[in-house]
Amino acid sequence: MDQILVQTLHGLVNGMVLAMVASGLTLIFGIMDIVNFAHGDLLMLGAFVGASVVGVTGNYWLALLVAAVVIAILGALLQITTLRPLIGRDPLTTILATFGVSLVIQKYALWQWGPSVRRINEPVPGDFTLFHLQYPWYRIATAVLAGLIITGLWLFLKYGKYGIWIRATTQDRVMAQAMGIPVPLVYTGVFAIGSAMAAASGVLFGPFAGVTQTMGFDFTLRAFIVVVVGGMGNLAGSILASIFVSLLESYAAIVVSPAQAVIVSFVVLVLTMLFRPTGLFVPTPK
Amino acid sequence: MLILESVDAHYGKSHVLHGVSIEVRAGEVVGLLGRNGVGKTTTLKAIMGMARRTGGRITFEGRDLQGVPPHGLARLGIAWVPEERRIFRLLTVLENLRTGLDRPGITPAHRDALLEKVYAYFPILKERRHQAGGTLSGGEQQMLAIARAMMLEPKIILLDEPTEGLMPRMVAQIQEIVHALHRDGVAILLVEQNVPLTLDAAGRVYIMEKGAVRHHASAVELRADPRVIHEYLGV
Repeated sequence: MDQILVQTLHGLVNGMVLAMVASGLTLIFGIMDIVNFAHGDLLMLGAFVGASVVGVTGNYWLALLVAAVVIAILGALLQITTLRPLIGRDPLTTILATFGVSLVIQKYALWQWGPSVRRINEPVPGDFTLFHLQYPWYRIATAVLAGLIITGLWLFLKYGKYGIWIRATTQDRVMAQAMGIPVPLVYTGVFAIGSAMAAASGVLFGPFAGVTQTMGFDFTLRAFIVVVVGGMGNLAGSILASIFVSLLESYAAIVVSPAQAVIVSFVVLVLTMLFRPTGLFVPTPK
Repeated sequence: MLILESVDAHYGKSHVLHGVSIEVRAGEVVGLLGRNGVGKTTTLKAIMGMARRTGGRITFEGRDLQGVPPHGLARLGIAWVPEERRIFRLLTVLENLRTGLDRPGITPAHRDALLEKVYAYFPILKERRHQAGGTLSGGEQQMLAIARAMMLEPKIILLDEPTEGLMPRMVAQIQEIVHALHRDGVAILLVEQNVPLTLDAAGRVYIMEKGAVRHHASAVELRADPRVIHEYLGV
């Protein structure tokens, strides 16, 4: 029983970080129909930037902010130079382009920071006892912070002027343009927001397992799975799917080893594609 | 104000518009009549930069529209109410209106005044302002599409078949709003199949057939001599 509670907490914490990664990915997909295979690598780059800032200043919260801003700017530049010229081309072209960007970022990180794991120290010290286990407060703080950031994004999309621009463009690009919404700028902005979310997730996740130049792909894959399971481009669906899949993985880890538990998410992905290809958490389309 | 000079347009490889020339002067309501598929909607899309223009010139207040980005037309004062209405279905009525309201240099007081103005024209939109656009009836969506265009405070509205598929009561209301816009000095290029409504609302009328303008006359002349209408539209 206590094991189930511990794993529930664990799953929720992982789910919140994953939800943050996935919400950036799904936002970009929803508006631009682009599967950004470099998303996880922007996360990794953000984590490295964060680690460097922590290394120099010792201030974790500053690192979180700097990483988000730096990667947002980088994301905007990437969109303008690489993806904007490809708008209207075969989707495969953009997939290959983001894949190429992913490789470039990985190799840059290897060249810049080397292959070793970098640590980011936990900004919130201390543990609390949960049954037989010492559970670090930091993980709780991470989940709460991720929740706050996602809520912030949601409020921005719901009530902000630019949020309405983004949603209008997602629904009907041509009509949005006719209403005077500068759609190319909206695309760049969304890409920057998605990148910032990825970078912030990287810094949040950093203390869990360290920062390596290969961590990106794993996140791209996991985020991609939950985006598909939640319904492509559906923000709420992606968030629910993140928590759902993470919880399932956590519970599976009770019976099998954690490495094998990852298989659960692939099983969910395959079952979703077979029986609900529009996504688990969207109303059945009429 | 808006001048099309022998405009040619293509959809893919098919040649849709053949040398269309149309002029709309400031504050004028101009009708564009013709059967289905003669290129009326494409003419509007050519103005909006959505149909591939292969020849001719389109100018607005003396400015060539070639090279103006699609989102720049709204700022120039051109609003488009498409045939399919293209309401942002998941946005609320108010949010739909805000897509045209949230522009640079507009004061909060001015925004509120504009909203109140369209709510006065279309009380139903005020009632439904927090409802998703996709849940409105066809007639209400048409009103929202027109109201949304009005948020831009345009100099001209390109109005594409606003009464198509609407109940007579709704048609009368749309007719009313066209008159009101005209009184406010907004020019309208009205594409319609509804001949009586067009002859009532418009000062001048162009009649299109097979991608070209075949006839041009004042509404008064056409009302006096319906033979032309009969010839091109069969009514």
